[in-house]
Amino acid sequence: METNIQTPGKGAYTGSSKNALDASERLNKQIFIEEQKSIFKNIWVPVCHESELPEPYDFRTSSIGNDNVLICRAPDGKINALLNVCPHRAMLIERRPRGSFLEGQASGNPKRITCMFHAWQFDMRGNCVYVAREKEGYQDRFCKDDAGLRRLRCSVNFGGFVWVNMNDQPVATLEEWVGDAFLSLEGHINSTPLEVVHYRKEFIDTGLKARLLKMSDSVGAHSKQSLFNFGHFMTEDSKPGADTNEKKNSFPTPNAMQSIRVNLFPGFSFHLDGPTLNVSTVTPVNGNRLMIEHKSLAPQGERETERNTRSQFYNANFGPFRAMEQHETKAEKQNEEKKQALANHLLHEWSRWMDEHPDGESRLSELATRRSKNAILDKDEDLIGPKVVVIGASHAGIAFADRLRKNGFTGKIAVFDRQVGGPMERPPLSKGFLLGGGETVESKSLLRQKKWYKTNKVRLNTQTSVQAIDTERKTVTVNNGDMVNYDMLVIACGAIPRELPATVGMGNSFTLRQPADANAIRQAANNADSVIIIGGGYIGLEVAASLRKKGIAVTVIEAASRILARVASQPLADHLVQLHRDNGVTVLTDIGVDKINKEDGRFDSVILSNGEKIKADMLITGIGVFPDSKLASDAGIETQRADGGAILVDDMMRTSDGDVYAIGDVAIRRDQALAVESVHNAQETASIAAAAITKTDAPTIQTPWFWSDQYDTKLQSVGIVPVQDEEVYQVVRPSKRDHGISFWSYKGSELVAVEVVNDPATYMEARQCLDTNRSPDPNQISSLSYSPIDSGGGRSQ
Amino acid sequence: MTNESQANIEKSIEKIIYQAALALDDHNWDGWFELCDTDFSYSIMSFSPEINKNMTYFSGNKKELKGLMDMLPKHNTDHSPLHRHTSVYTVDVADDGKTADAVSSVTIYQNMLDGINSHIDSGESRLFVIGKYIDKFKITDGTPKFISRETKIDNRRLDKGSHWPL
Ligand SMILES: Cc1cc2nc3c(=O)[nH]c(=O)nc-3n(C[C@H](O)[C@H](O)[C@H](O)COP(=O)(O)OP(=O)(O)OC[C@H]3O[C@@H](n4cnc5c(N)ncnc54)[C@H](O)[C@@H]3O)c2cc1C
Ligand code: FES
Repeated sequence: METNIQTPGKGAYTGSSKNALDASERLNKQIFIEEQKSIFKNIWVPVCHESELPEPYDFRTSSIGNDNVLICRAPDGKINALLNVCPHRAMLIERRPRGSFLEGQASGNPKRITCMFHAWQFDMRGNCVYVAREKEGYQDRFCKDDAGLRRLRCSVNFGGFVWVNMNDQPVATLEEWVGDAFLSLEGHINSTPLEVVHYRKEFIDTGLKARLLKMSDSVGAHSKQSLFNFGHFMTEDSKPGADTNEKKNSFPTPNAMQSIRVNLFPGFSFHLDGPTLNVSTVTPVNGNRLMIEHKSLAPQGERETERNTRSQFYNANFGPFRAMEQHETKAEKQNEEKKQALANHLLHEWSRWMDEHPDGESRLSELATRRSKNAILDKDEDLIGPKVVVIGASHAGIAFADRLRKNGFTGKIAVFDRQVGGPMERPPLSKGFLLGGGETVESKSLLRQKKWYKTNKVRLNTQTSVQAIDTERKTVTVNNGDMVNYDMLVIACGAIPRELPATVGMGNSFTLRQPADANAIRQAANNADSVIIIGGGYIGLEVAASLRKKGIAVTVIEAASRILARVASQPLADHLVQLHRDNGVTVLTDIGVDKINKEDGRFDSVILSNGEKIKADMLITGIGVFPDSKLASDAGIETQRADGGAILVDDMMRTSDGDVYAIGDVAIRRDQALAVESVHNAQETASIAAAAITKTDAPTIQTPWFWSDQYDTKLQSVGIVPVQDEEVYQVVRPSKRDHGISFWSYKGSELVAVEVVNDPATYMEARQCLDTNRSPDPNQISSLSYSPIDSGGGRSQ
Repeated sequence: MTNESQANIEKSIEKIIYQAALALDDHNWDGWFELCDTDFSYSIMSFSPEINKNMTYFSGNKKELKGLMDMLPKHNTDHSPLHRHTSVYTVDVADDGKTADAVSSVTIYQNMLDGINSHIDSGESRLFVIGKYIDKFKITDGTPKFISRETKIDNRRLDKGSHWPL
């Protein structure tokens, strides 16, 4: 086995054999130190899996190079990585491999990270919250606000792994770093929440570089090998009889047969083999010793029999007690060319970091360039004028940026969103998107193509969550701790789906709001025969139609006396119920869910208020949303209630702070009775705010509109259907179109809303009526020979 | 069951546990299988405080174990002999005298034969694994046979190597 590595230019031979040994030892040590400094301080390291800290206040410790790292889950569920070193006297703070800060320890308070040496305390974000004898000991020379644990760059992605980078300004974001290396793996490992089921360590007596070389030795024989930037590679074996396009042959089913291995430099391996996902990570211990940690992951809360099948496969192929076949003829079969290409790929990457690349390529100088570029970026090109920061890059946020530029705004626009990837339209997520078979989000659903951001000089920062707003200093703090100042702030944080407490953390139970939710539903639906949808609102019904189209048995459960109680008229609701029943959906109304049962952590069945039990393979909850206004209320911006609700805005979408606007689902006008969560509302409120900031004319206000697609039925609605009372009634108008019909809602003789099924021409007429305040005669509207447009019918005031 | 017969059963259980250790140390697989009932099952388990879970590292019945042993010559194995030091802590015989449970402590040393560089490493003994045997027995006419053994090891540091029963 190779142990010492002679690298040209380092460690010269000095004569006697004793000196030669010393020299090689020194050389190993020097290389080790260099690797720690150049490589491990700069790369993304998968330190643990999110399931290892499932609850708020759970923690796990690890190390990267010589640095001790503490990973913990904050009360809001977010995972943070902190340097596990006390800022007081630099003592190691937490020593256990894992645990929880929820309960107090002998030397610490509950919900606090406590240093056992002098009892300084920190919260889950690393803020110092208690300094022993602060006043007496330090008077005013020092205050706890100045001391905190160092926050490290941390990101959860690619199958739920927690990635940490010791460099605050890394050479690449995690997504750039990983690049396309995970493409063939991602769909499989993102399809279901995973947990770690095996863990062990192994020590091998070799150096990092020697192991890289050895790696290329062992994988040369594979059928497919792809090399990626940053020294990553992927190998894929085809096994006889395995068609990995078939869901029965691919992870997470327990009889999966695929073999895909992604190896991220300098030795983090993600090997999806058969029914097991095996992850191994490397930590150099000294110049001649590596610790390899092996983990195996399996779907959370799966049945015991399935878990056993996986465990047996793992033990036979990866476990420490597995039988190792003698190397038959594998060695001969290896493709020398591929092997050499991989070896070069890995060694070149190693030399790039160690500043020893034959052609002088250097990652460290790339780092320096990036850093100086970042500094320039912050000054933001040649843009002059105020700086606008937008929180939320969805329908409202993006429409706002677009409008702002169209109105001639020349200042800087920075948009932050915590989502991964380009901002996407939400409506397709419950409709066509669920029918698609691919594993990634389709680019046709992007709100804007990549080029748009560049052309319009809109700086989009995805995977960046804004964590605090300081309206006095006019700054926002983002998740890596950076502060960004603003002249004008626009909050477009949207809404969060309501969850039933019993379903929180339950496997195979979903809500739907973000692209990632839709992806998860789509993947789970591939392995499901039946689904229960709680909530008969638009999203629930659209999902019902999409999953029914996939051949899945669907039951919709609605607690109110009818579906769409809050948003649609009775006749339309009846029409849609019939449509769903004709398509084989079981629609239950006026019935509650008393209990949600899980088995092995996964959804199993519901017990209805009449005692009936219904089992299904998956559960989707669509019972409405609540505005994501916590950030605003924490900053003292007025919301509907002290504990939340929508952000209150004036007619110009200005909040209680004159420099802060709120638009889309998160906002409500002070005089507005009912929230309207729709794309139209997002776009319109965005235009109003943009006009206010650029001091241009406010847009013409349209009557609210909305659409929904279910099966081959297109529903379009304009106006707001009022709450049913004696004055409110609907008139049915037939249609010239096949399967067309429309429902005209009147309050007295005034037309207030129209819901149109499969008849775009009638929809346009209805819209024209409402936009121009026309009320066609309710006694004649049911006749097709009567035209709602030509009939005069000025609205009675 | 008389006190005397209970004491006899306890003695023979202690004896069979030690016999098993010797047979395993000697790679005398047939001798070991003779001490086991036809329904015998074997597992290696470990608890990981890192992930807060019990882990199964090996499990098999008598037939599967036999198959494994027959394949041994075909496998790459660390041939370093293991030396099991066992102390029987508790023996609980059922009231009817037909079954019994026993818990023993086990410390296994490895006597290096083919380390990284056998020239240098061979001959050295090192601590290999610590743990417990959790055994169940069937007793027929006063003679115990193993019906199951769970080897519960404390190590989470496990390098690949021997894969015969511990
Ligand atoms: C599945 C589905 C189908 C729909 N179908 C239709 C339809 O057919 N027709 C229709 O009119 N409407 C439909 N809607 C409703 C419509 O999509 C919403 O009303 C619209 O998306 C609201 O836009 P928004 O920008 O206000 O909020 P959102 O779309 O909720 O976006 C808010 C964004 O802010 C980000 N964010 C929040 N807090 C932070 C923070 N602290 N830091 C960084 N980022 C943050 C979020 O990640 C999110 O991307 C549908 C909605 C869904 C979910
Ligand atoms: S070293 Fe941590 S409190 Fe003093």
